Amino acid sequence: MSIFEYNGSALVAMVGKNCFAIASDRRLGVQLQTIATDFQRIFKIHDKLYIGLSGLATDVQTLYQRLAFRHKLYQLREERDMKPETFASLVSALLYEKRFGPYFCQPVIAGLGDDNVPFICTMDCLGAKELAKDFVVSGTASESLYGACESMYKPNMEPEELFETISQALLSSIDRDCLSGWGGHVFVVTPTEVQERTLKGRMD
Amino acid sequence: MKLDTSGLQSFVPLSAPIDDLCPDLSAPPTFDLPRSADFDGFQKDAIQMVKPAKGTTTLAFIFKEGVIVAADSRASMGGYISSQTVKKIIEINPYMIGTMAGGAADCQFWHRNLGIKCRLHELANKRRISVAGASKLLANILYSYRGMGLSVGTMIAGWDETGAGLYYVDSEGGRLKGTRFSVGSGSPYAYGVLDNGYRYDMSIEEAAELARRAIYHATFRDAASGGVASVYYVGPSGWKKLSGDDVGELHFRYYPVAPNPTEQEMAEVSPA
Repeated sequence: MSIFEYNGSALVAMVGKNCFAIASDRRLGVQLQTIATDFQRIFKIHDKLYIGLSGLATDVQTLYQRLAFRHKLYQLREERDMKPETFASLVSALLYEKRFGPYFCQPVIAGLGDDNVPFICTMDCLGAKELAKDFVVSGTASESLYGACESMYKPNMEPEELFETISQALLSSIDRDCLSGWGGHVFVVTPTEVQERTLKGRMD
Repeated sequence: MKLDTSGLQSFVPLSAPIDDLCPDLSAPPTFDLPRSADFDGFQKDAIQMVKPAKGTTTLAFIFKEGVIVAADSRASMGGYISSQTVKKIIEINPYMIGTMAGGAADCQFWHRNLGIKCRLHELANKRRISVAGASKLLANILYSYRGMGLSVGTMIAGWDETGAGLYYVDSEGGRLKGTRFSVGSGSPYAYGVLDNGYRYDMSIEEAAELARRAIYHATFRDAASGGVASVYYVGPSGWKKLSGDDVGELHFRYYPVAPNPTEQEMAEVSPA
């Protein structure tokens, strides 16, 4: 098993009508053994910007702490929140700094930009940005997630429908992956509110 | 180059075959070996292909009323779940069952082969084969293929004249008689629950619930186990399937979700 499959993870982000949703599984494992079923993979940077990190769990936590630090510095200097596009460039640069000894993480960034236009992007572990208009996926279940999202996604979904779609895509994909699952965690973010929900999934 | 399979010789010689269409059943089955330059390398590759496959949880134990056998139903290839509905408990004959762990094809084939051998024994000796005898047959066959990449970790459970019988047989050639076994990547978790709750004098329902619980806990902790927890009982009148519960539902039956008390609720603000 590769280093990316050591802990196991599944992440997906989808764009809706003036909103976005980001979802992850909740398992933390050490190869085949499950250690925890409440591991947090999606972190808030500011009210309209969330980052999900998949891959090696220790790098997930360290990278999040580094990014939170950089964003707080930015807030102090510029007296405003970072735009999602700028944040994505920051993550990309931070990952490439470690080009020859990388963080074993694949981030998924989702935010609402100026005029509340939703923005999502994903990166590989070296910082290659991939912008998408519909959905991005990451983690050990990514192949299943691509298939599920491709078939279930429709553009311009309202927040409720977006929540249903992303939850179904996540749950059906992690049911085909040994290393991720044990529940789900979904954030649906609109310009006025954030809904955080825990999904009841198969615990095997 | 043909493999020497005299270990597979049948007991009863049949009449000579008539033509090519009906194969000679009395001749030992032969397997062609690959004609490759690097035979050891080919062996190693073949072994590696099957190696990761002991992702499973199976268990069996003897108690006062007979034998309980239980297994999960997940088949995994590395990280991918290839099936959640694999039958891992194989019925050899009406009073003996075997469990599957390791290579699915290996287990299915050799269990069926064992069933054939047991039936031939019955016909030749006019009495049923004992569990000890059946497991010995299988162990000897697997020993003769030792090092060739078969992956079999099976338990033979049955009822014969001496009562309940339970043997563990594996592809390294090992054969162990015992009262409690668990095989597979989820076996440490199953042993924990099984050893804690085991008593010799349990009723059939209690024993089945213990087995179900042990399989459930293994599927919770082990990523390579999951699907459906099947429980079989083997008694004086043969084997009987007791239950097949989806493990996802078992979790919420054992640990129901308590409704979260709402800490802060948003209420509509009446227009002032």
